Amino acid sequence: MSQNPMSPTKNASTVLWGAVALGAVGVLASYVAAGPQRFWANWVLWFVLMFTLGLGALFIVALEHLVNAKWSVPIRRIPELLATLLLPAIPVGLIALCALPVLYPGSRPEAASHPILAGKAFWLSLPFFSVRTLIAFGLCVLGLRVLVGGSLKQDTTKDPAFNFRARKFAPAFMAIFALVITLVAFDWLSGLTPEWYSDIFGVYIFAGAFLGGLAATTLSVLYLQGQGRLEGVRGDHLYNLGAFLFAFTVFWSYIGFAQYMLMWYANFPDEVIYYKVRLAGSWRVLTIALASLHFVLPFFALVTRDSKKDPKRLRRVAYLMLGAHVLDMYWLIFPVLGAKPFFSWPELSFALFFLGGILLWLRSAMEKGEDMPVGDPFLREGLEFRL
Amino acid sequence: MSETSYSVLGLFDTPNALMKAIPTVRAAKLGTVEAYTPYPIHGIDEALGLRRSPLGGMVLVMGILGAITAFGAQYWISAIDYPIVTGGKSPASWEAFIPIMFEVTVLFATFTAGLGMLFLLNKLPFFGHPVLSSKSITGITRDRYALAIEAESESFDSAAAAKALRDAGALEIEILPAPDRSPFLTSDFILRTAGGIFTACLVAGLVMFLTIKWFPLLAPMKHMQEQPRLNAQMPSTFFKDGHGMQLPVAGTVARGHLPAAAGTQEAAATLVNPLPRTKEVFAVGRKAYTNRCEVCHGAIGNGVGSLTAAYGGKPANLQAQLFLDYPDGKIYWAIVNGKNAMPAHAADLTETQRWAVVHYVRALQRAQNAKDEDLKVANP
Repeated sequence: MSQNPMSPTKNASTVLWGAVALGAVGVLASYVAAGPQRFWANWVLWFVLMFTLGLGALFIVALEHLVNAKWSVPIRRIPELLATLLLPAIPVGLIALCALPVLYPGSRPEAASHPILAGKAFWLSLPFFSVRTLIAFGLCVLGLRVLVGGSLKQDTTKDPAFNFRARKFAPAFMAIFALVITLVAFDWLSGLTPEWYSDIFGVYIFAGAFLGGLAATTLSVLYLQGQGRLEGVRGDHLYNLGAFLFAFTVFWSYIGFAQYMLMWYANFPDEVIYYKVRLAGSWRVLTIALASLHFVLPFFALVTRDSKKDPKRLRRVAYLMLGAHVLDMYWLIFPVLGAKPFFSWPELSFALFFLGGILLWLRSAMEKGEDMPVGDPFLREGLEFRL
Repeated sequence: MSETSYSVLGLFDTPNALMKAIPTVRAAKLGTVEAYTPYPIHGIDEALGLRRSPLGGMVLVMGILGAITAFGAQYWISAIDYPIVTGGKSPASWEAFIPIMFEVTVLFATFTAGLGMLFLLNKLPFFGHPVLSSKSITGITRDRYALAIEAESESFDSAAAAKALRDAGALEIEILPAPDRSPFLTSDFILRTAGGIFTACLVAGLVMFLTIKWFPLLAPMKHMQEQPRLNAQMPSTFFKDGHGMQLPVAGTVARGHLPAAAGTQEAAATLVNPLPRTKEVFAVGRKAYTNRCEVCHGAIGNGVGSLTAAYGGKPANLQAQLFLDYPDGKIYWAIVNGKNAMPAHAADLTETQRWAVVHYVRALQRAQNAKDEDLKVANP
């Protein structure tokens, strides 16, 4: 921050503001030119991305408190700041509620006469859907206040009581987290195809969110280290992040494949249609790409011990994981639009707009305050962590 | 105390003293330098110059080998050696192979990790490391830090090693004998182990046998017998017609069979026999005719079969002029759909067998109306 000359920082934020402005024009134009369906699909995609990233980061923070991890104290501020992405995700999500009558068959009036959807009508109806979303937002804000707000306050108060509070709150937050991420998964993602259901879908989204949060954390750590910040964070810390990334690529594919294999075996029409759509035409290419980019490539890239410590390799894998997470969410949402994957200027405009916004938010969050939780009594122990 | 000293142990007070001594002791190059400490000390691997363990690479290679083995075995079993279609899936469905591949990968990897570590890298078995029975061991497990120079060859000089350790600051010196590597896979050991395993198997098998014999109702797993299922020909309230067994949906075709010839016999007249007139085809036709047709139509197709008298029926005389003039397609149609009292044989005969029977019937007709040139061909 202070040791950096002002001009590159200013230049970067000008570029980001430009990207947001350009993206905003494209976003507005896409509503008119590409139609509301495609517009709302893009909007929901970016809402889900922001929400899962923030939630995944908040899960990392809560997990560290839950297991009383010491090694991660020096880098804990980064997932804490990433978790604040949940705040801008709230207005985005409230706007996304307008997508319900357009994209979600369960919220349309004709659902009442549909033999299957009629039974789910109350759950999928617009009012209850909105109430659930609001409850999820409220729970997220609660988690942010306790875990992130408390940690920021500890910077000045140096009060070790926060550690005890956070450790007591963490188990409760795990339950909250499970509820919120399942709601997001069931409502916003599998709600697009309400006749299809999968019990494990929430866990699948959790695996993706956690990986996304980890990848974003790793990237931010490497970025700040490149700027000469986060002094004292070393290969040993990076190794743990890399090992987490490595382990959870396997977890994600395990859950994803378990879901696919059972449906493939049973071959019930109402279940297997989900994959039938995604294995036809151009979607088949994207499905294979998803499996390769989300599992095969990162797995073999991180399999050796040295690669988990190598900043260059880690940065590449973290970029790859974030990209794969975007592809994963795209792969879940966009098939409802039609047999062909859409990718053109509307999608690019949305990416410009939201990516620019996210980066601006994170930049401003990381510019102020401390880089590490300096008030945490375990910070020194964390800095002395060796493998 | 020992004639072949194996290693010399030097004890240090603090980890720092140990770490400081390591470079000088290593520089003396008297043997392999080992450290024994009550807890892990950071940086000691690098100081001792320990090579990265090759175990990780071994596990990776064996894991991949496990995946390939599992895939190959399943592919060969279910797609090549004994292909069975289950649930309408292709016998070579990779999806079904994945769980086993996962398990075998883990199996190969863990066995390689465990056994490779114990036998290849730690060079087990031997009964006890001399350090464990040394005088210093109580200190090493509590508050002493030991550095050992271990013999690499017969020319190990324990006095020089002791001096090197003392010069490096060791407070106490202990000389240890070589580990007892006497072979324990003696015939006696093998016999007793094998006998033990055999006896255990015998007892377990006997207990299992008697349990099942005396308590036959305690079947270990009866889920297959006791599942709620409908046997063939049983009534059921599940379906509207009250039958447990349902007719196949109209238009159902068995695997390997073509749809039955639809339409009238006249429409089928234009069908052409796709089979060539070869010995093999006639053999197939003869076998099918003998099994399915001969009881009524007779061995030479004259309509006098063994069942004719018993039923008082009047099967078609295939030697009659009407049938001599029949096109192949009309005979085929009769086989598939049946005619008058004759039942349909679509379910009994495959597509190939039906047309082979048509050829065979033609041969029977020709045999009863043989021309002179036929004899010439038959007796060349």
